[in-house]
Amino acid sequence: MNDHDSLPNNRAVHGSETKLKTEAVSLFYGAFQALRNISLEVPKQAITAIIGPSGCGKSSFLRLFNRMNDLIVGARVAGAVAIDDIDIYSKDVDVVELRKRVGMVFQRPNPFPMSVFDNVAFGPRRHGRTNRHELAGIVEQSLRQAALWDEVKDKLGQSALALSGGQQQRLCIARVLAVEPEVILMDEPCSALDPIATLRIEDLMRSLSSDYTIVIVTHNMQQAARVSDMAAFLMMEPDRAGILVEYGPTSQLFTNPKDKRTEDYITGRFG
Amino acid sequence: MAVIVISKRGLSQRTAFSLLVLATVIVALPVLFIIAYIIINGAGAISWEFLTQPPSQAGKAGGIFPAIVGTFFLMLGTLIFSLPVGVLAGIYLTEYARDNWLTRLINMAILNLAGVPSIVYGLFGLGLFVMAMHFGMSLLAASLTLACQALAMTITTSREAIIAVPREYKEGSLAIGATKWQTIRHVVLPQALPGIITGAILAMSRAAGETAPILVVGAAFILPGLPGSPFDQFMALPYHLYTAAAHVPGMPKVNIWGIALVLLVVVLSFNSLAVFIRIRVRQRRIVS
Repeated sequence: MNDHDSLPNNRAVHGSETKLKTEAVSLFYGAFQALRNISLEVPKQAITAIIGPSGCGKSSFLRLFNRMNDLIVGARVAGAVAIDDIDIYSKDVDVVELRKRVGMVFQRPNPFPMSVFDNVAFGPRRHGRTNRHELAGIVEQSLRQAALWDEVKDKLGQSALALSGGQQQRLCIARVLAVEPEVILMDEPCSALDPIATLRIEDLMRSLSSDYTIVIVTHNMQQAARVSDMAAFLMMEPDRAGILVEYGPTSQLFTNPKDKRTEDYITGRFG
Repeated sequence: MAVIVISKRGLSQRTAFSLLVLATVIVALPVLFIIAYIIINGAGAISWEFLTQPPSQAGKAGGIFPAIVGTFFLMLGTLIFSLPVGVLAGIYLTEYARDNWLTRLINMAILNLAGVPSIVYGLFGLGLFVMAMHFGMSLLAASLTLACQALAMTITTSREAIIAVPREYKEGSLAIGATKWQTIRHVVLPQALPGIITGAILAMSRAAGETAPILVVGAAFILPGLPGSPFDQFMALPYHLYTAAAHVPGMPKVNIWGIALVLLVVVLSFNSLAVFIRIRVRQRRIVS
């Protein structure tokens, strides 16, 4: 596993295939504009971090990619968001199919109040896989991928709520993996976890990034620097609309930012 | 060591505290008094025969078995008709309904449903179920009438139970490509179920105690046996109690209190069951 030894930022991602793309995207909640005119391309099988001060629209931006903003009454999107060059906001897109391809891990671990097994099997079951044997295989494989199998293999029947916070978050990752997505969105996945659990999730993200495209929102700049290949810095305009200030390879954004505002933010001068 | 003196502030605090305790005791007293009084006066009537035999001599002798069974049939009928409608309406109102004039109208109707006097439900049932729909004076008509009255409660408790399901669960389910209905069916409803059941049980126990609505839609004072079909008339404890107490000269007092005691036990045991379920669920949430 070379990935773990070498600095993640040295991995070549420039010029690799684009998985997700936004073109001049704006997001409105009723009359309030949450995002303004954001264009960026997320490379395939890499980790892209979204950083920025609280309230700048990071989470709203992330939720564009699996259309979770649809759940908010009055939310409206202008511009284009594409996965593999397919516009996901076009009329003939099935949101359910989209969310199978674009999974999401939330800020607070949110395992369902059911057994560990049922949590991981939840997605596959809803998508019509009922064969016990097959499900058991999917559950084991997903838990292994999420680096949780060894800790829970003897308590698959126990309530997921009995696991520790870090285990719960990895369970939520396993639950997403069981659906075999292509993209995993992570909305501050470590903000409710202790430092050791955080490191485990970061390791896990590195190992997953060889197979999955990962987009992570984080308010922890060290985390973004440690884990991501690409980084986008969002902040808000005076009217509180989120704008993209700078986007590029993480090493460059953190060592040699092009924009003064990025530099101020990462050196802790505001935010 | 300094002498600890009860200050003025401490004193007024104690006075306030005593008043609160007193008020609480006053609230509890009538309930305890009623229960004690009924037990003392009615316990003498309770016998195997009283609980298992049909009445004879206009209720002055024999038992109240058909009234007990009739009351349970009514509770069951109320449950069957009001629970599905209540749960489905609760789901619709929380998960699907948009905030428009229709939804607001429905919400207002539900609020008012709870405030309609029970005898009005009886007359409504008489007009609709007994006469217009030709169900006659029957168990079916009475169950439907009581179900209408129970709807306000089953809808409200279902809705509250559904709203109480954390948003994180719904989002987690939707985010892995479950449909809205799958999310409701497999995540929301299992979580809301204890609350829904609690509401249904309370609605049943209230139906068990109602007299006015069934008065006009099919309750009979004396029947020789049990209803053979939903279209038969039936006996019920509250109506039997009312008639026995008010309209039968020479009715032994102990029998009247005996009927009241049985009714009280039925209603209170169902209420306790609802409380028990709620406590169990709360404990499970704390443990996990």
